[in-house]
Amino acid sequence: MVFLRSEEHLRRWLETNGRERGETLTVAKLNELARNWYWTRLEPDWRPRPPEESQAILDELGLTGEFWRLY
Amino acid sequence: MDDQDLRIRNHVYGSFVREQHAPTPAAVSQALGLEENAVAESFRRLHDAHALVLEPDGSGIRMLNPFSVVETPYRVFCDGREWFGNCAWDALAVLGALRTDGRVESECPDCGEQLRVEVADGRVAGGDDPIFHVLVPARHWWDDVVFT
Repeated sequence: MVFLRSEEHLRRWLETNGRERGETLTVAKLNELARNWYWTRLEPDWRPRPPEESQAILDELGLTGEFWRLY
Repeated sequence: MDDQDLRIRNHVYGSFVREQHAPTPAAVSQALGLEENAVAESFRRLHDAHALVLEPDGSGIRMLNPFSVVETPYRVFCDGREWFGNCAWDALAVLGALRTDGRVESECPDCGEQLRVEVADGRVAGGDDPIFHVLVPARHWWDDVVFT
């Protein structure tokens, strides 16, 4: 899960490393995802989140489709 | 993973955020009044449950997601402190988990140039506007989480 300078850099990096393209997000969308995903991680009574709730976080941001299915 | 595992996990996270280094089973055992072996076994169960990530040789903690215990190219600067994320996602998530603003720096793996993202009031507020790429489909993120 990496940041790249642009689409052109992504294309070149995938080609150089012989990798298939996955999915891309804008940094604004990633920030929303990252905050929602980890918001409660440091709460003193943290408990593991059921996979359905993690999937809901992805769904709410429009990250649907087979690539984003956790299970 | 039982209630004692969760108590240990929550102690480890709290300790890491205070001290910026991950406690050993010996340190946790002393702090919580538990047998060191019991803590080491708990670390393994927490690893298996993806509640933390141990080094492959079991020598210590590698990840307390979103934090990386070891240095990575994903640096996070906030509140006068520096952290490491495990990846681009986790670097921004460090700010979310700490509920603060700050700056993430990494390097473009194609050209090596530095990339910067500024977060203010919880939103991206400046920087180099990089794109984020996920190589591995979600179902396989935990197959090899270090690679992911």
